[in-house]
Amino acid sequence: MNKNILLVIAAAIMLVPVACSAQATLEGKVVLPKTHVSPVVTERYEIVSKAGVLATNPPRAVVYLEGDFPAPATLPTKEVAQKDLAFLPPLLAIEVGTKVSFPNLDDTYHNIFSYSPAKRFDLGRYPPRENPAPFQIFDKPGLITLRCDIHEHMRGLILVLATPYFTVTDTAGNFRLTKLPAGHFVAKAWVDSRTTRSAPVDLKSGAVAHVDLP
Amino acid sequence: MKAPILAACFLVATIRTAGAEDFIDRVDQALTISLADDQLRARLSGLLDLEYYHFPQPSPGLIRSSGHDLFTPRLSLFLDAHLGANIYFFAQSRFDTGFEPTDRGSQARLDEFAFRVTPWNDGRFNLQVGKFSTVIGNWVERHLSWDNPFINAPLPYETATLVSDIELPLTSQSFRAVPGFDKYEFLPIIWGPVYTPGFSVSGRLGIFEYAAEVKNAPVASRPETWNDYDFSDPAVDLRIGLQPNVAWRFGLSAAEGPYLRANARPLEDEGSLGDYREYLLGQDVSYARGHWQFWAEAFEARFQVPRLGDADVFAYYLEAKYKFSPQLFGALRWNQEMFDSGTDEEGRTVAKAHDIWRVEAAVAYRFTAHTQLKLQYSLANGDFVSENLGSTFALQFTLRF
Repeated sequence: MNKNILLVIAAAIMLVPVACSAQATLEGKVVLPKTHVSPVVTERYEIVSKAGVLATNPPRAVVYLEGDFPAPATLPTKEVAQKDLAFLPPLLAIEVGTKVSFPNLDDTYHNIFSYSPAKRFDLGRYPPRENPAPFQIFDKPGLITLRCDIHEHMRGLILVLATPYFTVTDTAGNFRLTKLPAGHFVAKAWVDSRTTRSAPVDLKSGAVAHVDLP
Repeated sequence: MKAPILAACFLVATIRTAGAEDFIDRVDQALTISLADDQLRARLSGLLDLEYYHFPQPSPGLIRSSGHDLFTPRLSLFLDAHLGANIYFFAQSRFDTGFEPTDRGSQARLDEFAFRVTPWNDGRFNLQVGKFSTVIGNWVERHLSWDNPFINAPLPYETATLVSDIELPLTSQSFRAVPGFDKYEFLPIIWGPVYTPGFSVSGRLGIFEYAAEVKNAPVASRPETWNDYDFSDPAVDLRIGLQPNVAWRFGLSAAEGPYLRANARPLEDEGSLGDYREYLLGQDVSYARGHWQFWAEAFEARFQVPRLGDADVFAYYLEAKYKFSPQLFGALRWNQEMFDSGTDEEGRTVAKAHDIWRVEAAVAYRFTAHTQLKLQYSLANGDFVSENLGSTFALQFTLRF
């Protein structure tokens, strides 16, 4: 009896890698806009200003699989830091219900807020390395524009999605989504607030599907 | 005409969709340029302010109006540009009815322009040349409509004292007698942000800040003198600051300069214009944490007046702002200004004016990150020639782009 149980367990263990490799993968490329954001800091009434050049934000897209997927039991906490007077990362994709913390890694106050319909909040002024960092839970899908009440040039985006299958492209537009279920779905690419592209995809277990979203 | 404009403001203000916010963001992006591999960046931005005032008594502060209602629009355009990591340029032009709210015509002005060089990345030294706001105190950094919790300025920045830079007293006893006065001929302790030409040096060394500027005119000078590029007898302003942490800031300021205009009269046999100076000492403190912000400033000013001697004024205010929700905030401010009681050669009081107090409350709602509606009520006791109680209701709609 015990020998039979051990055989079943051994067979199950052997099958696990087979099951994982049976999951589908989707890869491709999103054509990104050529423009990029070069923030300009307003320092008119700062008696003391520091020299430096702010990082530019090349465009990226969020690619996700649309469908009716079960909600996960737990979600990892994500982070949007403020560093060198910019949001890091400038674009974050999360699943509905995700907690996002906003650590301040600069040496000045920040006051992060959003008036976006999907989430309105104002974290107030908080100092560098405040522990615990202020956070918000994003419980509605939609686009959140992050701003700072002190540093007018700061902009960040959080795209809250009702799917666990998403990724952010690299700056060339390339993406790779792994561990996807097999089936017929619609792949979407959020490019900016006015542009979302889509294409039907047929995902097969263990296979890599390719789709471009021009 | 005014009612439809205000109604249109409210209509615009109530557009709170993400689409409206997104549209302004795209305008903002279109007004930003970047050249030479991002080494040259420039941004054009602006504020459109529509203000309405109602005052049952004569117009308060430095507002000039013959009636009891005043509607004033203002468009402010800003250019901010960075060349590499160390050079910054900014300019501000305004289209309005006058630097102070008035019902007398319209103006287009270049209020500010300046080059700033910051050689070291840690901000230990900045050199700025141009026409720009004063380094004195802590109000200037929030004087624009979007950042100011109130519609007007604190009392020391916008309430006339007994001292004029044009109409001088004939005798020490005529100092208080100002028949048929036009209050615009008199000076506040500091005239708003004081956009005067000159140069400044400033920087931060650890927790200490310093700033010094040489300008063409003193902090009490009127806007009409801000375009005089005469540096034969310049004004000097200083501020030493202490910032022990990001929450607290303390500052000590001092300023000095000749305040009489070239057309000041009568001046015969009473020396030259440069003999009469404004001296100012100031203290400022600010604190911020969470949804609270506090500011306080106190100023002791001395004006040397021909045939009178010294006219001393002490003024201070306490200001607090609190955000009730992400889009709603309120603010309270208490202001007071007191005049010293000087005496002439015969021991008679000459410089005593009526002390002034003013309490103000404001509430503002930000419909989007670009539109804001502010309401303010002020109750003031006295001005420099009366002890009457006066109230002012003000409304301001701002579009920021």
